[in-house]
Amino acid sequence: MIRSVFAVFRINVTGLFALVAATLFLSGCQTESQTLVDDAGARESAFDWRVPASVPLPYEPDDNPMTEEKFQLGRHLFYDARLSVNGEISCASCHEQARAFSDGQQHPSGATGEVHPRNSQSLTNAAYFNNLTWGNPALATIEQQVMLPLFGESPIEHGINEDNFEQILMSIQADETYLRLYAEAFPEQDEPLLGELAWDNSVKAIASFVRGMTSFDSAFDRGEMSDAAKRGEALFNSERLECFHCHDGYNFSDATIDRGVTFLEPLFHNTGLYNIDGMGAYPDPNTGRHEVTGNPDHMGQFRTPSLRNVAVTAPYNHDGSVPTLEGVIRNYAAGGRVIASGEHAGDGRMNPLKDGVLVSFQITDAEVDDLVAFLESLTDDAFLTDPRFSDPWR
Amino acid sequence: MKITLTPSKRLACAAGMSVVLILPSQASAHYIPAEGEPVQVHGTVMTTWRSASPVDEYEFWQIPGTSMGGDAWPVSQGVSLDEVSVMAAKRLDQNTFVKLGVSTHDGSDGHQSVGIEHASLGFVCCDSKGPWVVEAGRMTAAFSPELLAHRSASEFTEPSLIADVFFGRHFHDQGLRVWLHETAGWSAGAEIWQGKAFPATDGSDGGAWDAFARYSFSVGSVDANIGAWHYRAQATSRADHRYGGGHQHTPVAALGEVATIFPDVRYTGDVDLTGVHAGSSVRIGAESTLGIKGAWAQLNMEGVLHDSGSREADIVADQYAVWLQPYLTLHNHTVSLRAERLVADNTLTGAAAATLGEGAGLLSEDGHTPERFSLSWLYQWRPQIEFRAEYISDQTLPEEQDRFAVGVVWQGSLLSGHAGH
Repeated sequence: MIRSVFAVFRINVTGLFALVAATLFLSGCQTESQTLVDDAGARESAFDWRVPASVPLPYEPDDNPMTEEKFQLGRHLFYDARLSVNGEISCASCHEQARAFSDGQQHPSGATGEVHPRNSQSLTNAAYFNNLTWGNPALATIEQQVMLPLFGESPIEHGINEDNFEQILMSIQADETYLRLYAEAFPEQDEPLLGELAWDNSVKAIASFVRGMTSFDSAFDRGEMSDAAKRGEALFNSERLECFHCHDGYNFSDATIDRGVTFLEPLFHNTGLYNIDGMGAYPDPNTGRHEVTGNPDHMGQFRTPSLRNVAVTAPYNHDGSVPTLEGVIRNYAAGGRVIASGEHAGDGRMNPLKDGVLVSFQITDAEVDDLVAFLESLTDDAFLTDPRFSDPWR
Repeated sequence: MKITLTPSKRLACAAGMSVVLILPSQASAHYIPAEGEPVQVHGTVMTTWRSASPVDEYEFWQIPGTSMGGDAWPVSQGVSLDEVSVMAAKRLDQNTFVKLGVSTHDGSDGHQSVGIEHASLGFVCCDSKGPWVVEAGRMTAAFSPELLAHRSASEFTEPSLIADVFFGRHFHDQGLRVWLHETAGWSAGAEIWQGKAFPATDGSDGGAWDAFARYSFSVGSVDANIGAWHYRAQATSRADHRYGGGHQHTPVAALGEVATIFPDVRYTGDVDLTGVHAGSSVRIGAESTLGIKGAWAQLNMEGVLHDSGSREADIVADQYAVWLQPYLTLHNHTVSLRAERLVADNTLTGAAAATLGEGAGLLSEDGHTPERFSLSWLYQWRPQIEFRAEYISDQTLPEEQDRFAVGVVWQGSLLSGHAGH
């Protein structure tokens, strides 16, 4: 009865509204709700990024816009061990697809056997970081970063230098596959594999491949988390644990930048992993941002890694010194790591340079399991096995 | 509490109805104590049971296409103490008076806080009650009837969309008001505000002002009123303080539930609001009144949306909300119908437009224009006690919801010898 009376009222009032709406329409007013969104081309790209509509696209450098052809050329170079002094080291040596392009080692070794002091980072969604590597605020593009493993001398990774670069380039130039790929990737150039231009093009192509490694198809993204993972997510976002303050947003890192972001101050955090002199010191040469800036306040500060695919990227932290996710969680629960003996002994909990958000918290074994389950729900299995990112030489 | 009678209220009293029907809370919010009166202390308690809330426990109440904030919390399922308020007023001398008032405000999870709504000093010139009045301090705005009323003084347990969406339900701020007070049917004036009330912000780049005029008159058995106002606010990094605006955390959900972090999108820019309102009633018997009233408000926003991640997008929003309310009073019973509609026409520009628009709630749903229809029955059981029942067909969100409410309101004088309403 009430609903019937109400329906009549609604019809009459709706009719009155329609009359008012018609008047407003004739006078130029909008009569139905609408929102026009002009994203200024933020979703436009010549490249198929394969990211969901809810995730903004990353920036593309003006001097290296993304194309499928450069991506495919970069994929071949990424997996090509000819790009090293001894023909044994490729990018993929330290960045394996099944490990989300990390390597499972605490410290990787270069072509000359030199051990890198840092742990190999996952390349998942590298396009979304506002600075690359663990602790260099000046390294803002993947193109800049690619130069370091190829040509860097401290440490030596690929070992390409003035003595061998012509020979390495000749081996590339002699490959029919590369002649075709370079021509397709750089159609505006007459000789894309000639001289210094060839190296510039190679760096851009590898950077394009790395930039195209997007991963947003985990159980978390699909809303298919287990109950344990859901409980873990609640813990992750809780007042008690505070995880999301640094691991925030769609990429689970506060160092995330995309086309919607006009400027992002580089953020680095000291997590109390070391305190070898009681004054907050980290062991050389792994002092993080401090290595670049020389600022004592920057001691032990590292960029927040993404947590996407984190479950397959062990060991953890900048030096790979924590073997498991549970170990990472327990260090945070303690408010820092205590190293009882050895050359790195010290109480990280008391590190005076530790980030203020890192306070200790109580957590049960079951809650640790739930939190790990949540982190495991961020694994994108399709990304780890996608032929698009696999070795094209096999 | 003694009431300043306008012609409309005299008619309402004669009809035996609550005097708050036409321009309800002018009686309390802008009451000027008479010279020689003892201290007046007026109290109100309102409690309501509702069959449902428009949103689930871990959802944010954002009507699509709008930028909400203030104290516009969604009503909650079950029994809730909607309002407890105490208002005191005292005439100090021939020209000055003070008002103090506290009231509860809704909060998250049904929690309420007590806030000071009035702490003001008034100066009357040039007669006992005007015509010119200057008031300063913390006050309820006078420019719009939408903002004058507590829910206890309204025919409906839920505030209008104009009040909830455009003004965050309440408007209490520090400011200065100069006005012509109910003289020959006219009230008109201007107010300037510090900017602590939504949709403004305070500080050097914030603040607000308004101007208003309204007129009440009677012709035979017909009583009518009409008014118009304009309000302008500046906002800097304005947050939706219901869910954001500070240290952000996801609410801890119950087992098996998932709560998400509120996207704390801010607005910096100007807000202009213009409104008109009118009402008319006619006596159709010794104890019967038939009336209709309504209001229309137009909002214009022009500014920038931004967030903590350095995302920015320009926004130009033109929105209007309208409600129409016929009502019938027979003896101690009043039946009212209210139909509301809100139309948003927003344009967002910039690389982050879609992300920020979604976070701010400013993306309209395709083919959906918010509407709400409410039917209420009020029964004035005793002079100070009123029972109410209500049916709401809520189409403000894409998923339509029907809900019911029953409640009781007590309001009356606490200290004075004078009777309440």
